[in-house]
Amino acid sequence: MGLDFTVIARNLDYLLWGRLSTGEPGGLLLTVIMAIASGVLALAVGMVLALIAWWYPGWVRRALFLWADFIRGIPLIFVIFWVYFLVPALFGADIPGAASVVLALAWFTSAAVMYSTLAALQALAKGQREAGIASGLSDGQVLRWILLPQALRNLLPSYVGLFVSLIKDTSLAFIVNVSELTTVASQVNNRTQIFPAEIFLFTAFLYFLLCGGLSLAARGVASLSVRW
Amino acid sequence: MGISFDWAGVLTGEPAQWLLTGILTTAYVTLAASLLASILAVLVLGLRISPARAGRWPAMTIIELFRNTPLIVQLMFWYFAAFGLLPLSWRLWIGNDHAWARLPGGIGIISPEFLAATWGLGLFSAVFIAEEIRAGLLAVPVGQREAALSQGFGPWAILRHVLLPQALRNAWQPVVGQYLNLMKLSSLATAIGLGEITYQVRQIESYNSHALEAFAVGTALYLIFGLVLAQVLSRFEPSQIAKRKPGTVKAGTVALAMVDAAKGIDCSQGADRGA
Amino acid sequence: MSAIKSSMIEYRHVHKWYGDLHVLRGIDLTIGRGEVVVICGPSGSGKSTLIRLINRLDDLSQGDILIDGRSTAGLKGRGLRQLRAGIGFVFQQFNLYPHLTAQENITLALRRVVGLAEPMAVQRANELLDRVGMSDKRDSYPGQLSGGQQQRVAIARAIAMQPQILLFDEPTSALDPEMIGEVLAVMREIAKTGITMLVVTHEMGFARELADRIVFMDEGIILEDAPPTEFFLDTRHPRAQHFLRQLLSPLHTASE
Repeated sequence: MGLDFTVIARNLDYLLWGRLSTGEPGGLLLTVIMAIASGVLALAVGMVLALIAWWYPGWVRRALFLWADFIRGIPLIFVIFWVYFLVPALFGADIPGAASVVLALAWFTSAAVMYSTLAALQALAKGQREAGIASGLSDGQVLRWILLPQALRNLLPSYVGLFVSLIKDTSLAFIVNVSELTTVASQVNNRTQIFPAEIFLFTAFLYFLLCGGLSLAARGVASLSVRW
Repeated sequence: MGISFDWAGVLTGEPAQWLLTGILTTAYVTLAASLLASILAVLVLGLRISPARAGRWPAMTIIELFRNTPLIVQLMFWYFAAFGLLPLSWRLWIGNDHAWARLPGGIGIISPEFLAATWGLGLFSAVFIAEEIRAGLLAVPVGQREAALSQGFGPWAILRHVLLPQALRNAWQPVVGQYLNLMKLSSLATAIGLGEITYQVRQIESYNSHALEAFAVGTALYLIFGLVLAQVLSRFEPSQIAKRKPGTVKAGTVALAMVDAAKGIDCSQGADRGA
Repeated sequence: MSAIKSSMIEYRHVHKWYGDLHVLRGIDLTIGRGEVVVICGPSGSGKSTLIRLINRLDDLSQGDILIDGRSTAGLKGRGLRQLRAGIGFVFQQFNLYPHLTAQENITLALRRVVGLAEPMAVQRANELLDRVGMSDKRDSYPGQLSGGQQQRVAIARAIAMQPQILLFDEPTSALDPEMIGEVLAVMREIAKTGITMLVVTHEMGFARELADRIVFMDEGIILEDAPPTEFFLDTRHPRAQHFLRQLLSPLHTASE
């Protein structure tokens, strides 16, 4: 078979951090930046939505579920398209492609964060809330001091899983030509033509290190907190 | 800002033809990949839970590999790299036009794009489906296995009559979610040039710049596909009456969600697992 | 049908370790054919482990258990499965198969392990369900039954293959008080048929009325082994006395 990985060596800096020297981060670096930015946004929005759904169980919760099912019912690629084309149209201003991908990923993932967080709150034994209420705490205090601390601890593995998915989902930025790792790899492949196996194996390897490493670390942390 | 919509520009003439091709291609590749995924999932699951290390370790490696790399990179690998590793005669044969291999609507299935997409999607989904079922197996109480053991059942009989039926009931929602996911993930095949819905929508957009209309139609198509697929799959749902009492079920499915997440199973891309 | 001809059980110098925990320390015990033996003791005494070793749900670390004079420690594969098919086991948590009806819970092993044809299996299942008072629930799923009902079905399932030995692991401990009676009634009826029964339980009323012997264990050792009258009125070992006092006094405290 004879794989020649020198093509990787020649393009390593481009694959790892894009055109950082000219102020345009790309490659693996951009992947990580986008994942973190989307993750933080998705976490914030998703948790707030979960709390709203928890607080208002009637039509508000049903509306939120409807919105979440709608978002998750269409391919992520389409969400990216929508944000990529709509945001400039709506706000007149042009935003960098990476930013629109971050917004799209955050919007899409926040639905999953909302579901997971709500599920974790609901999974806590009813007695927890009742014990709090019985000592005179308000519903808000019960949420803040009794339910959320427990739920968040249980949610850690879930959140890490969502973040790992986010890292993989940044690869969809390929579709709008944002220079994250997959797009960059594809560019190198188009330019060199004869090393597809080496390029995509190496690309997969980089993702594998990132995602696998995170999952492993999360499992390690989870087993530490199991004693609780 | 006045936006005028020109639906005719998207729903008539050539664009309409393209959309039809896209719909059919999405349907066929989803079907083909689902069949492949089902078969491969059984294999992967069988290896993963086998008592022999020679079966488990390769299975675990494959599972970790496919779970920690993006599908789009896998598709590119199969299409650009792996395809080139096939014998030349095979590649030439696949590249030819095969009139006999055209499904209704003129969609050719013996093409590098279709084959790579089917293979890539099928393999990827198989791994996730196998892991969902395995999570369902882990959620079956240990007393079930002991009860069957104490009656004199052998290991495969226990799996077949006692553990798997319960595992499938536990894992039904997540497994259905994986098939729905597969349908949505078929949109990624646009990156390797398969003419499914997303590909056609982008083509329309570059043809007459009707971005909003084209995307709206595409969105609607995927939503419809999802509803139809969910309905079809619900026909196969095992009897719900045989599940445990409500309290245990809820804890079970929620616990499953967290077990999955902890193991890094894809939670985004619409894996339908409601609270 | 059962592969066990008589039902003498003999423990010979049996030891069991779980890691560093020495759960059974040199058990020597003989149980005759047709005997009803109650095993009691504080939690952690090893009594559950004791009976789980008989049908090899757990394996002993040292020693041997002979059933009908034949060693069972080395049994594997088909021989082991035959041994298990000849021994009925009733669990504390019932462990009925939730995806099968009450009737199907009983017919499953009859058809798949014993190889009975369906009509015969169904007939036997219905007879047994009748015997435990559950014939009107034969098409119900476990999730639709109360704890006491589930345990009665579990007992029917355990005797379906006509075992010569019946093992009960705290059969009423997971039940609400008002359902204990119905399960004990079934157990009494079975005890009178002459089958060999080992019952791990705290139900001293059952022990007094139906046991041929009561065995008291603590920390992996048998401390007392006597017929009921002697056990209750002439308890020898101080720890057994302490245990009985706790169990039988109103506030479960060891007074004076």
